[in-house]
Amino acid sequence: MFGLLESGFQHFYWGNALMIVIGGVFIYLAIAKKMEPLLLIPIGFSILLVNLPLGGMMDYELKVKALEAGNVIEVQMDEGDRFNEGDIICQLDSGEVLTPVFGRIDEIKVSPGQHVEAGDVIASIITMQQTDQSKVPTEPIGLLSRIFKFGIMWQMLPPLMFLCLGALTDFGPMLANPKTLLLGAAAQFGVYFAFFMALLVGFTLPEACSIGIIGGAEGPTTIYVTSILAPQIIGATAVACYSYMALVPIILPPVIKLLTSKKERAIYMKPQLREVSKLEKVLFPLITTIVVILIVPFSAPLMGCFMVGNLFRECGVTDRLSNTAQTAFVDMLTIFLTLSIGAAMPAENFLQSKTLLILILGVVAFATAAAAGVVLAKIMNLFSKEKINPMIGAAGVSAVPMSARVVQVMGQKENPRNFLLMHAMGPNVAGAIGAAIAGGVFLGIVG
Amino acid sequence: MTDWGIAVKIAAGGFGMVFLLLAILSIQVKITSLVVKKCVKTKPKE
Repeated sequence: MFGLLESGFQHFYWGNALMIVIGGVFIYLAIAKKMEPLLLIPIGFSILLVNLPLGGMMDYELKVKALEAGNVIEVQMDEGDRFNEGDIICQLDSGEVLTPVFGRIDEIKVSPGQHVEAGDVIASIITMQQTDQSKVPTEPIGLLSRIFKFGIMWQMLPPLMFLCLGALTDFGPMLANPKTLLLGAAAQFGVYFAFFMALLVGFTLPEACSIGIIGGAEGPTTIYVTSILAPQIIGATAVACYSYMALVPIILPPVIKLLTSKKERAIYMKPQLREVSKLEKVLFPLITTIVVILIVPFSAPLMGCFMVGNLFRECGVTDRLSNTAQTAFVDMLTIFLTLSIGAAMPAENFLQSKTLLILILGVVAFATAAAAGVVLAKIMNLFSKEKINPMIGAAGVSAVPMSARVVQVMGQKENPRNFLLMHAMGPNVAGAIGAAIAGGVFLGIVG
Repeated sequence: MTDWGIAVKIAAGGFGMVFLLLAILSIQVKITSLVVKKCVKTKPKE
């Protein structure tokens, strides 16, 4: 404006417009269709914020340095110019200086004819790209990029979210029927199947792990693993995971119907589970923490927080902590986490062919996870006197409690006497434990 | 370039590890419930 104020219009392109539409769809689904409003409203709004150029909410500053000493022959960019990854900033007589990320030039620090030493700063650039900090260290300078860096990249928010999930989880149905832990384990097949498929279509090993873990259907686990192994795809994996968790009522039924007969789906299970004593509920998080972390140490942040949250709930003497974790604390974390997820979706980051592949692989992960749970339930029925309804195997896809609810609805449709919810909650919460362990295994091997 | 040997090890070993660990937890839960049942005598509710 009058040469004094730069507006965002000159940097606005079709990608930003498309992302704003996507953000708008999220907000519409949340408000009009009541689909996961606690997640979709902040994610949708955050997408909107980071796709308004020059808003600076998700900006990182990066100093581009000369790799070798030399004289500047030509500077090819001006302050304010936008560029893609690999574009040339300036030409030295010893070689070119390239941009390691997409973004825009904040300040050019050299001029033609100037001599620079190796390590001298050539330009200060602004980017919204998530980078591997060991190779391309960036400094967050926006509100959301600060929350993202210290909340997600420092791996703070996902484990704390797991603490709240622990406080919200009743392991009673699983403890009453420990066989259901195996169904939760079988569902982790989806993680490894998607991992393999991701490698087949050309993703790197760390990226494939991050894509595979979408099959665990646990948002915090997916974000945690991706933030460590492949931060450049965190927006896509997080959105795939949370979207498919919301779409479980659409994904699960066809998989279940494909693998079971009408007769199997109508198998009756007694509605009453045995009563689990308080002592068992208190011992479970303690013993599980010790066993799991001794075997898979890298699962410690997630499992430790999950179990301490559950201990708050079950021990009977920390009601205040449990109540806080179940209400105010989980809400605060949800705000930070979801704003961060949306913030990882500027158009330049999100609108890539990779993203589409990740979304496809995500649904493959969910479907194969559900299928594996159903198949194991059918195998268990071959050796068991008391038959289980194989549909509860599909609830091993974590997505607590959505997948258990889907099984309950389908069960009642096939046999109105059936009340499968509590039976399905067993594999459901076992799936959450399984996903955290699978994440720990990936980090232990690849991290 | 993908090292398929490592990929197979991660997939097979990883899934095996997760399954084994949850199977161990399943046994642990069963044993705990048996021990607790034996040790704790439920008091009649007033």
